[in-house]
Amino acid sequence: MIQALQQLLSHHPTLALITMATALCLSGCDQAQPVSYQIPKEPRSITTPTMPAAPAPAASTSGNMQILPGMEQAAAAAGEVSYSVPVGWIELPPSGIRKGTLRVTSEVGSAEITILTFPGNVGGSLANINRWRGQIGLAAATATDLPAYTEDYQIAGHRGLYVRLEGSKQSILGALLPFHGNTWFFKMLGDSPTVLANEDAMREFLDSIQFDDHSH
Amino acid sequence: MKVLFQWFASLRLTVVLLSLSMVLIFFGTLAQVETGIWKTQQDYFESFIVIWAYPETWLWQQQLFWLHIPLPGGYLLGGLLLINLIAAHLTRFTFTAPKIGIFLIHFGLILLLVSELLTDILAVESQMPVDEGSRSNYSQAYRSNELVLIDRTHSDFDTVHSIPVALLKPGKTTPVPDSPLSVRTLHYYPNAHIGRTQDGMPVNSPATMGVALKMGIVVTPTAESHAENQINTATAYVEVLGPEGSLGTWLVSNVIDERFPPQIVTLGPQRWEIALRLKRHYYPFEVELIDFSHDKYPGTEIPFNFSSEVMVHHQDRSKDQKALIYMNHPLRYEGLTFYQASFANDDRTSIFQIVRNPGWVLPYISVLLMGLGMLLQFGMHFFKFLSQRSRSIQA
Repeated sequence: MIQALQQLLSHHPTLALITMATALCLSGCDQAQPVSYQIPKEPRSITTPTMPAAPAPAASTSGNMQILPGMEQAAAAAGEVSYSVPVGWIELPPSGIRKGTLRVTSEVGSAEITILTFPGNVGGSLANINRWRGQIGLAAATATDLPAYTEDYQIAGHRGLYVRLEGSKQSILGALLPFHGNTWFFKMLGDSPTVLANEDAMREFLDSIQFDDHSH
Repeated sequence: MKVLFQWFASLRLTVVLLSLSMVLIFFGTLAQVETGIWKTQQDYFESFIVIWAYPETWLWQQQLFWLHIPLPGGYLLGGLLLINLIAAHLTRFTFTAPKIGIFLIHFGLILLLVSELLTDILAVESQMPVDEGSRSNYSQAYRSNELVLIDRTHSDFDTVHSIPVALLKPGKTTPVPDSPLSVRTLHYYPNAHIGRTQDGMPVNSPATMGVALKMGIVVTPTAESHAENQINTATAYVEVLGPEGSLGTWLVSNVIDERFPPQIVTLGPQRWEIALRLKRHYYPFEVELIDFSHDKYPGTEIPFNFSSEVMVHHQDRSKDQKALIYMNHPLRYEGLTFYQASFANDDRTSIFQIVRNPGWVLPYISVLLMGLGMLLQFGMHFFKFLSQRSRSIQA
């Protein structure tokens, strides 16, 4: 059998060469085509994305926040945070890339407290504070104004920045904390009377923050 | 013809080809430092010819920037070696019983070369992340993207119309299969930065519909990255055309994903969700991650074992299967191989590498053949030697 094949191919060497050349050329014929297919019904939950965008002019790229595909995983990899819930606050289930969501309501309004973390410095303190200022209708500030509404604040034994932004309708009390290569954002945003009345509770909340930190 | 055939069969050619293979591996290794393993494999080993350039990061780059060395690629060398080996058998070797060992070794080698080519052509790799306690019925290819229009109006199933991004060439119009739509590409960026302008700032964007407009999204094209573990942000501006003209221009990107509200294309009563995403492979089964374990050596952070306990739920219940996937113990199921690749999310998500390689069994057969061939070849020599020796002692 083998000898017969040998004889055949040795008399027709071109046959052998053509066969092999065809096999090699096959590798180039791998052009993708559009297709349609059916899949089992997919749940499509619509959540509003949380995009911590540092404000920047459209032309510049350096200040623009990038949402990279790995960001969600990076947020997940940043570890978890634990805290105690101040009296009167309600803890909501974490959603999307939020590490925690809480809510406080009073007769004069309501406010939401969120915990987020992103890799890197996310544009730096000034850019992020200006983003927060934009959210409550305040004009952007400069670096020299910063001390007027920020103070150093210890969170879980690390140096963070406490931010107090009072707007006419809405206000923000928050904190930025660089920790292990990530920046953590703790923010209470809501109706000014509610937010300002909860300043002590916010500080109590920040004091209770603990990281599930395995590397210490 | 005969001369050509003899040239192809010559042992000299074998030596030259093997030497060139070593040179290719050497330069491929140098290039891997610059471009990463995936790109190097494509450029050096899955090609016919490659040109090595003096790396920019090396010493004397200023003087030697002109240095380019053309080399035969892996396909060329492998193909010629295959031809060489087969031609040698047809001319120089004759099949006799004592040579069966040599024949088996060579046949195993031919099979190995062919299986490598088959793997390059046919193998498909993708990844499936699954959270503990949840299920997944698709995997994603991290290096290829697709533009999809998804019709979710049917109550029993969704219909996915998929266009590979290779067809998104600026100015080109591609019909969407099984739909009245077609897609005209305005811009396609293999990688880009996606950012947001300050609230209220006007955006200079070709998009007329969807999230780009509502959220003020700015796109800055950047160079494609070939680094391992890095995903390129493929981004495009596409105009969707109905039977009576344009329906609008959307910004689509693989980072504008499920976290964002869906972007909807509307034509009369029909609705499609439009998105650019990592290419998905759907399966007729769901993989449920029951438990992921990540064991470390006591007192250290050094891992010694990752394992995933999974349950595969097939549409055909009789094919359900439970399995433990860990290092060197992949799950082989329905022509696919599931390897434990990675993990995330504080050890609550396991990531499987899924490989579809119809030729996976060939290298095993070829190694067996070569082993058997060597055993026969050396065994015969050994017994011949023994019998000669006993004869000489007797004499």
